Amino acid sequence: MNELLQQLQKIAERISYLLQIKDYSSWGNLDGFKSACERLQQAMYDYSAEQMQGEIRKLSNSIAFLEERAEEHLTPMERVRIVRSAQRFSLKDILENVYEDYTELGGQDEASVDPAMICAKATIVRRIDNKSLTASVMVIGQETGHGEEYRNGGSCRPEGNAKARRYMKVAAVEGIPIHFYIFTPGAYPVEEYPGAAQQIARNIYTMTKLPVPMVSLISEGGSGGAEAIGLSDYRLMCSHGYYSVISPEGAAAIEGRNRDGGKAARELIEVCADRLRLTAADNLRHGTIDRIVQEPPLGARRDDFAFFATLRAEMLRATDHVVISAKNFSAFRNWDLHRRQKGAEGKGLSVDIPWDLSGGEMKRLLQLRSQKYLNMGGNAYQGRPDSSRQLLALARERGEKFYYSLRYDFFKKQKKLVNKALVDLGGESTLLVKRLTLPVISLLDKWWEKPTSPAPVLPTGLSSPAEPARDPLELGDAYTSPMARFDRTVSCPNAARYGCKDIWVPDLYGEFAGVCESCGHHFPLEYQWYLQNIFDKGSLRFFNTQIIAGNPLDYTGFASRLWTAREKTGYLAGNLTFHAKVNGIEIIVTMLFSDFRNGTVGAAEGEKFVLACDLAKRKKRPLLAYVHTTGGIRIQEGTLGVTQMPKCTMAVREYIDAGGLYIVVYDNNSYAGPVASFLGCSPYQFAIHSSRIGFAGPQVIRETTGIDIAPGYHSARNALKRGHIQGIWDRREFRRHLHKALMTMGSPGLYYR
Amino acid sequence: MEGKVLIANRGEIAIRIMNACAGLGLDYAVVYTEADKESEHVRRNVTHGPGQNAWRITSYTEPNDLLAVADHAGCTAIHPGYGFFAEDYRFARRATKRDRALTFIGPSWQVIKELGDKINTKRLANKLGIPTIPGTDTPIYNEMEAEEIALGLLSQQKTDGIQNPSILIKAAAGGGGMGIVEVTEIEQFRRTYRQLQVYAKRQFGDGGVLIEQCLRDYNHLEVQLLCSKHGERIHFSSRNCTIQSTGRQKRVEAAPGFHRSCFDYGFDEEQLLRQIVDYSLRLAAEVGYDSVGTWEWIVTRSGQPYLLEVNTRIQVENDISARISYLHGQQPNLIREQIRLALGDKMGYRQEDIEFRGAAIELRIVAEDTRRGFAPWIGTISEFSFPSHPWSVVYSHVPSDRPYTIPSDYDPNLALALVWADTPGEAKQRAADFLAAAAIRGQDASGNPIVTNLDYLRQSLDRLLVF
Repeated sequence: MNELLQQLQKIAERISYLLQIKDYSSWGNLDGFKSACERLQQAMYDYSAEQMQGEIRKLSNSIAFLEERAEEHLTPMERVRIVRSAQRFSLKDILENVYEDYTELGGQDEASVDPAMICAKATIVRRIDNKSLTASVMVIGQETGHGEEYRNGGSCRPEGNAKARRYMKVAAVEGIPIHFYIFTPGAYPVEEYPGAAQQIARNIYTMTKLPVPMVSLISEGGSGGAEAIGLSDYRLMCSHGYYSVISPEGAAAIEGRNRDGGKAARELIEVCADRLRLTAADNLRHGTIDRIVQEPPLGARRDDFAFFATLRAEMLRATDHVVISAKNFSAFRNWDLHRRQKGAEGKGLSVDIPWDLSGGEMKRLLQLRSQKYLNMGGNAYQGRPDSSRQLLALARERGEKFYYSLRYDFFKKQKKLVNKALVDLGGESTLLVKRLTLPVISLLDKWWEKPTSPAPVLPTGLSSPAEPARDPLELGDAYTSPMARFDRTVSCPNAARYGCKDIWVPDLYGEFAGVCESCGHHFPLEYQWYLQNIFDKGSLRFFNTQIIAGNPLDYTGFASRLWTAREKTGYLAGNLTFHAKVNGIEIIVTMLFSDFRNGTVGAAEGEKFVLACDLAKRKKRPLLAYVHTTGGIRIQEGTLGVTQMPKCTMAVREYIDAGGLYIVVYDNNSYAGPVASFLGCSPYQFAIHSSRIGFAGPQVIRETTGIDIAPGYHSARNALKRGHIQGIWDRREFRRHLHKALMTMGSPGLYYR
Repeated sequence: MEGKVLIANRGEIAIRIMNACAGLGLDYAVVYTEADKESEHVRRNVTHGPGQNAWRITSYTEPNDLLAVADHAGCTAIHPGYGFFAEDYRFARRATKRDRALTFIGPSWQVIKELGDKINTKRLANKLGIPTIPGTDTPIYNEMEAEEIALGLLSQQKTDGIQNPSILIKAAAGGGGMGIVEVTEIEQFRRTYRQLQVYAKRQFGDGGVLIEQCLRDYNHLEVQLLCSKHGERIHFSSRNCTIQSTGRQKRVEAAPGFHRSCFDYGFDEEQLLRQIVDYSLRLAAEVGYDSVGTWEWIVTRSGQPYLLEVNTRIQVENDISARISYLHGQQPNLIREQIRLALGDKMGYRQEDIEFRGAAIELRIVAEDTRRGFAPWIGTISEFSFPSHPWSVVYSHVPSDRPYTIPSDYDPNLALALVWADTPGEAKQRAADFLAAAAIRGQDASGNPIVTNLDYLRQSLDRLLVF
């Protein structure tokens, strides 16, 4: 009887799982089955064992039928619910079942830096010809737990991500592969030191060139939190998982425009889940993942041991794949792996592969990784870059590369060496000559008493003949905001605190450059003001203007909105890239601006950014990322947008490693993805006064954490305090500060050094 | 004349502008604050009901209030008086550029901007060959450069035979006497420079400094100019404003600028005065000056003039220049002329039509304790009477027929008294007579009698007028 009771309990569990997936709707009479199951449980002893068995079998068959139907018609939102179920497998289950043994690093359970992030040194075993071969790997991943409060649902705090980064580096030192497991609905959006965005940016920046094979498995990939440990050489994804730029609820809140915290309608959430293209199949089609790991119907649960065996095989195979692709000679093994990968039941390689890489192999690994990410989302925008892949343009690019490396790397270095030698030689000879002639000269001096030299000439401005030249670092006044045309006054938001007087609008947007004179509050100014007034007059040359922001996911209704943005701004994408000069120094600028879809980053913007990095690298010019405003990743591009984070960070890393100077300046509001990746990774980040920088806006923080943040939470000053930015700039001094930064920062590799 | 003038000021200048407007047949409106409601400039006007021409505002420096009153009362021009917005080019610009534009009675905002900046004025003057105090005319940020300049200035003074050479380091962004340090030895320069730079950076947000020769014994002269919008520019001679109390507040002024009776000097004062007037007119022509204005000069004992700054407004003491000038035998009213010319009139006379004759002395009567560092006195005045002569005039906003409580919100200036005569000696005598007959009585909250500078002026007039 006990056995039967257990079976019944099992069925009850299956029913509740189905109910959960179907969001407690009255699908397939689940409620009826549930009450039937309960009745059976209560009336256990009224039936004979056979009767009971029959009833249970009947119930079980019905549920099995329902499960099949449910699996056949799984909607994206149902997949999301599967992933969120407390019964789904978690990282702990994987560590127990996939790996031979493991040691948690950086804390255990509650006693951990961040229980939502687990780092573990684990051993994975493979059997080849009845021989066990063990290999050490670093396992890093979020732990959702099965409903434990302290796991925070796999939502990592900054310190959790910092822990992950620390052990990534340990793995790099030990030369062992890393297996990442992504089980996160998103990063926990707090700005405690060093700030969620800043830490994720550091993680991504580290991972771009981490010299070990990395494999990741995505079960629940929620945007920024996922990217914090998601940049790997091979990305696997569970067939029932989701990987998305934003939670469907978040997307629905944005779509429904209920910013005051009202709940979005359930139908809208379903629709958004569908539009976001967050399923494994969709992601594979768009190339944001490399392979799907098949799960049992309705997703693997904590006790699906067969699935864990599959997972072990898949992880081994993926790691082999990464290692082999970096090997010097691997044709046969590669072929074997490829052959076995095709058959789902293949057991992996039949020969052993050492997972540690030599120097050359590492280089190749990094090169492959760089290619992989730089090419990601290549089909997600329209139009072509200026040097589209034609033979002539390619040749020109190569030629330029050769020319600039010859000019700056070779000749300049030689010249510097020669100069240095000349100066040394000159100094030596002068001293020698002096030594020889000194006795004679001193004798002559004594003999010929020289008259005392006249008083020094007065170097004052008294006799300046012409008007003094205009300070070259003063702001330009080529552009005045159209806001300055109205005869009215505005009140400074700090008036209550500092007693600022009302400011006449023509003064504010004209002479004051949008700054309150008494308290220094910066009112927002449009991007044209910066274009015209910061850089040398007439020095702007835009490039790659024919890259067009597209609608790769065919997001309903987005094409027309894009069209509106294009009409409004006259630009085809939300990232302006151009050549500019600051007091004669040529720089490359990329500028996210608010007028085009609130400065969000999609595939086109990312591609333009990467090309700008590439150009700056080739020409040895400083790169300025001026962020007029960014609202994060463009959610309508789904994961194609999210992958811009690793993609652009890869480009930035390569630019910085090549000796570039990458300066980021934030203005107005800068939030989410871009700040947590390619902007946040810069060693030189600055903010304009009164700007706000952070990971998630106040609204999102309230929704996800239930905390009402303090008013100045995202202020530039707080960002400065926690070390996110290196300085706060006054807009009136923007040009001067920028020039100073260009002159004092960066390596000697820049063209003007 | 056509138009309505908003008088955006208080005290005696508001009354003088009111009178000038009335003389020109112009309508006007005045503003006042709660503290000033008993002032004569309010009581003479209508504060309620039909024909209202006085409006209460929160502050004389609140542009929104002023412009709202101007719009409401239908004003076409605004007279800022002196102080408050008189030399604020932003206010002038706003008043003239707004949707319902007002005529700003004063120079154009561009001129105020150009001459309101002392450093820029100095630069302009240097360009025209007008002498300014030796030193820099741009802010210096570099320590080594600054030391070079300081050394140069000190050695220059030594070669000029100056007894105790010294220089002043000033914070370029400072003002009102703050951030000025004297240096006499080059060895102490760097240390002082650094201290001042840090102070200036913290206090004014800019670490730039100016370095100038320090002048010890000098006369402070002012040249009164009157210019029209049609390019006519004439002067009304000079006046001497050397006597200043603490905080550089003037108490006694005299016109003309120099006279043999003041002190012994070895230069030709006629020629010197001609020269500084000439220089002043040259600078006025350069910037296109188009209103009344005062060119301030420093004249050393040896007769070397240096241009100090330009006051782009009507000044308190404008009338003493008018009292030694005779236009067709009449003493002119400069405020009236200012309003007339600002509204677009031609001048209608030339420099040759003005004859300078006699001497005038202005006395500023202030409720202050001269023995306690000129501390202001607050209380109620019960008697306020001055003698009336054909050779004297008193400008005051204090009523003489009822008690008046001095508001604590503003400077306790009570009256301006002017006397004039054919010779400086006679003027001095008349000033003494005038002071002897003046009477101000009253008491403060604790019953102590009023303290004014009348006694101080009586006792030290002789001493004060020897420059």
